[in-house]
Amino acid sequence: MGNYQYDIIVVGAGCAGPAAAKKAAELGLKVLLLEKSQKPGEKNVSGTCLNMAALVDPDLQYLMKGPIEREITEMHSFMISPERTTMFREIPGEGLILLSVRRDEFDAWHTEQAKKAGAEVKLSTTIVDIIEEDGTVKGVITDSGDKYFGKVIIDAAGVNSIVGRKAGLIPKRKGTNMILYTILNVWLGEEKVTERFGNSIYYFLAPNCQYKTWPWIFPKKEVVTIGTGGYMDENLFNGDIKSVNDYMQNLIDLPIIKEKLEGGRVEAWGLHLEFDQSIEKRTKAGLILTGEAGGFVIPFLGEGMPEAFFTGIYAAEAAAKAIEANDFSEEFLEEHFMGRYNENVFLQSFRYVADMNKQSILSMPDEEIIAMMQNICIGGGFISSAIHRNWMKGADEDDMSLVQDAKDFYEFIQPYRQVGSESLEIYKKMRAEK
Amino acid sequence: MKVEMKVDYYPGETGEFIKVDEEKCTGCGDCAKFCTRNVWVKDGEIYRPKNLKECAECGACWNICEFDAVIFGEPKGGTGIRFEYG
Repeated sequence: MGNYQYDIIVVGAGCAGPAAAKKAAELGLKVLLLEKSQKPGEKNVSGTCLNMAALVDPDLQYLMKGPIEREITEMHSFMISPERTTMFREIPGEGLILLSVRRDEFDAWHTEQAKKAGAEVKLSTTIVDIIEEDGTVKGVITDSGDKYFGKVIIDAAGVNSIVGRKAGLIPKRKGTNMILYTILNVWLGEEKVTERFGNSIYYFLAPNCQYKTWPWIFPKKEVVTIGTGGYMDENLFNGDIKSVNDYMQNLIDLPIIKEKLEGGRVEAWGLHLEFDQSIEKRTKAGLILTGEAGGFVIPFLGEGMPEAFFTGIYAAEAAAKAIEANDFSEEFLEEHFMGRYNENVFLQSFRYVADMNKQSILSMPDEEIIAMMQNICIGGGFISSAIHRNWMKGADEDDMSLVQDAKDFYEFIQPYRQVGSESLEIYKKMRAEK
Repeated sequence: MKVEMKVDYYPGETGEFIKVDEEKCTGCGDCAKFCTRNVWVKDGEIYRPKNLKECAECGACWNICEFDAVIFGEPKGGTGIRFEYG
């Protein structure tokens, strides 16, 4: 049992943690990254597709040098009912849409980048408590009793983070705003994945295959990752559906999926939980919550990794400023951390859409949700659909402020919308530098 | 193809990282209902995480429990579930 002193302690080597540790080290700080698993990424379950609209941000471009499984250029959506199957195929622009990755490879690579930048990394280390003095978070205590002190603690330990809970920032949840996903990885071999799935991602809506969310299939190099689940309210499990595995079984039994998985074998299975509500306060004196620990995730849209990368970096920058100013107060950290967050076009676009959808999804009956999802597919995506709905609502209710909001937001996101062919150029450049 | 819960575990003792608060548990069974891995088992009037070695560490039980009766920590460093592919 020892006491150790650092400038910054980062807890968790998922998406946010290595990003924070790398940035902090680059800013010349003495930083320690702590991770509970033996290899970063081996306790993570996610959609594993990185959104290129976020990765073209200069802060995130280095991530394109990581271990990429497949370059995604297309999207297919299937609406399946007992009577008919409708398919939408979308090829948005010339650029890449997503990069699919394996988290057990990608997070380990990302942690290596943090190490190369000068961060110290300690694996197989679970945090059991925080050290607090006069309302300021000063450090963390590990399961072996070691105490690590930092001027700023960055919590990047995910949805159930002990740090955020002990500090009183992560609230006690209720099931209705949590999504429980199960994820199945099916091995087919590279040739069959390419032949049957190509470089496309797939979304589905079919009876008894999901609850208030979308099932999806994302191809990797040799496997495809399939995900489904739903909001944890009293109707998640009903009738024949006793667990999320039953939704998954119904999904992979759909003829259109079954034939694509023919000859494959289940390689890995996982469970993942997401909290679909923003956390009221992401900072406390000496502490910043990032990624899922800070509620920076939008389960319904399947976005969480870019939020984690960005907030990890912003937390490190805010921490560096706090050290320079010798001010570790909640107000100082909040201003510098959330200031960057609020300026980020990508994050604000997703937040706008999520805010629009949240209330409606939680209160809508299933048929209305499906109708809304269909409209989103037909109507050119989530963002256009949210702007359109806000605009129409304003027009219907004769509320010009809603129309103005929609108009302002449309202007605000223009940089995001213009990401097209240049994303491919940036990607090629990064891969060449790798 | 049948859904198969294929997971790995690191070797080593995890410790009792999930416990029931016997005073708070009402025996409603939500923990068992929302647990995909059948960790929670009825024992008299309350539920206990008897199959903790099957746990996937998702936290559904802790998050769903209305009565704050689930004490949810984490396995000892370097132990517990290990996912491939993420």
